[in-house]
Amino acid sequence: MDTLNALLAGFGVALTPMNLLLALAGCFLGTLIGALPGLGPANGVAILIPLAFTLGLPPESALIMLTAVYAGAMYGGRISSILLNIPGDEPAMMTCLDGYPMAQQGKAAEALAISAVASFVGSLIACVGLILLAPLLARFALTFGAAEYFALFVLAFATLGGITGKNPIKTLMAAALGLMMSTIGIDISTGSQRFTFGILELYEGIDFIIAIVGLFAISELLFFIERRAGDGDSSVKMNRLKLRWREIVAVLPTSLRSGVVGFISGVLPGAGASLGSFLSYTVEKRMLGSKNRFGEGDPRGVAAPEAGNNGAANGALVPMLTLGIPGSGTTAVLLAMLVSLNITPGPMMFQQHAEIVWGVIAALLIGNLLLLLLNIPMVGLFVKILSVPPKYLMPLVTLVAIVGIYSISHSTFDLYFMIAFGVLGYLLRKLEIPLVPIILGLLLGPEMEKNLRHALSLSDGDWSVLWSTPLSVTIWAIALLGLILPWLVGPMLRRRMEAKRHNGR
Amino acid sequence: MSFLNDRIFGVLMLLLAVAYGWQAQQIPVSFGGGGPVGPSTFPTLLAVVLALTSLYLMVRPDPDNAWPLGRTLLEMIIAVLVLIVYTLTLEPIGFPIATTLGVAILCWRMGAPLLRAGLVGVCGAAIGYALFNYGLELTLPAGLLEFQ
Repeated sequence: MDTLNALLAGFGVALTPMNLLLALAGCFLGTLIGALPGLGPANGVAILIPLAFTLGLPPESALIMLTAVYAGAMYGGRISSILLNIPGDEPAMMTCLDGYPMAQQGKAAEALAISAVASFVGSLIACVGLILLAPLLARFALTFGAAEYFALFVLAFATLGGITGKNPIKTLMAAALGLMMSTIGIDISTGSQRFTFGILELYEGIDFIIAIVGLFAISELLFFIERRAGDGDSSVKMNRLKLRWREIVAVLPTSLRSGVVGFISGVLPGAGASLGSFLSYTVEKRMLGSKNRFGEGDPRGVAAPEAGNNGAANGALVPMLTLGIPGSGTTAVLLAMLVSLNITPGPMMFQQHAEIVWGVIAALLIGNLLLLLLNIPMVGLFVKILSVPPKYLMPLVTLVAIVGIYSISHSTFDLYFMIAFGVLGYLLRKLEIPLVPIILGLLLGPEMEKNLRHALSLSDGDWSVLWSTPLSVTIWAIALLGLILPWLVGPMLRRRMEAKRHNGR
Repeated sequence: MSFLNDRIFGVLMLLLAVAYGWQAQQIPVSFGGGGPVGPSTFPTLLAVVLALTSLYLMVRPDPDNAWPLGRTLLEMIIAVLVLIVYTLTLEPIGFPIATTLGVAILCWRMGAPLLRAGLVGVCGAAIGYALFNYGLELTLPAGLLEFQ
């Protein structure tokens, strides 16, 4: 009953005209950014963060807008998967399998509409799961001590690459780099200056908003130039939508099942959306047996990964909201947003900032409904945007991001720093060092150090306190598994995903 | 297949880990010492993690990705330079002119015809300026276009 009341209060927050308008704008902008080929949702949200700041919004409004951007960007990503066979990010890969064949058969509009419906169903299921599970987990998390939290942070980094991640050592390395960046500045508990080299601008540490925009947005511009992708793809064709109710109803069971599979893999640490969409596609293929035409443009083959993907993406919000530990790249960026609004995510958030938590959950539901309503009639418009060559869009987007940063601090030092981060981001991406752990390290560093301090102060410097309770030992064990499993099953899973993709052509 | 990138990166990161770890030991400890965990404990831990991972990278590197060469590299350097010059000039000559030039040059270098690139630059700057200054009430520097 408590949950229901809180949720209703959340709807009260999300349904104010201002917030509704922001959610709408967020959905629209998110779809737009997501629709740009090659630009994933994490990048999309990162690019739009300065905008949320420059608008000077209150925390819940800013977060509602970015949640809507998040939902929109994921939807927008499907447009380029289906029409161009270019996945915006890894989870979208499975959507290409049946989406692109459908588009080639002249059923692009139907594929897009089905993916919208499936996304909506997947998100809906995950939202219900989130509403049921999050308060329970938050209550359980209240029993965690400093040692458990420290272990939990290690777990977050160890599993961030996901089971499908390439090289877990590189994830760990990136996490160390990010954490090292977080130690720059004045140490909060002792007041010592660390690694500032007497530069005044470094006393307050590195602002992660600058790091995020630099690492993601500016490195993206450099990649566009390198790929010479300036002209974009103008061969996009759309047909008139001829979708009957019967066809929508036909994909509903698939969407429901896949939403559940997706949600579960989203909540689990390290599984992530890639595994969510892969699992739901595979499970659905098995379930349907010989009745499926997966890989040849089966509508259910579009619905399964879409529902799974969205289920997983929203499922990833469960650990993010309750423990302050993001399950995916995009949730890491959302977490950055929360921290910079002076809200510490974690179990306490459900008590101290209940209106924000439930406002965001309500916004997620509303955002998905808006997306469904927005996308079916307006998909033609978004497809037109795809045919605007990136050579005009990318410079504009990049400079808007720069000015957005400038308008927060009015300091050009920050801008040089951001450009440097952009070049660094490019180099790291070339070396296949993942960027998300860096951001996450920068974000979680101070919290992690604080918990280490608390734990060791209580034990008077005895390090074994970190693994002295059954709970913390369990967490360490999972973290270790998260590092080892990618070696054992990762290559196999990745090979299967690739094989599916090639067979699908 | 060559594995040089990861090896070189591993060496660089090992150097960074050593430098960072050494620097961490030099952090002055304030009065009281800060208990069992001083300001240098956590950084030292991080330096060890980075050193171990970079050693691993040197021993078991991944295959290289190709680096851009020649014209592509030049274009990328130009893009970075444009961003730096844009930052340099943002305050003195103002947002409208700097943005017009910045967007136009980037669009042009990415392959747009000069005239169209200029047009996109002018429109982008004008809309952006109007939006930020009047829509969001954030003052951007007008620079040369300021009427006094």
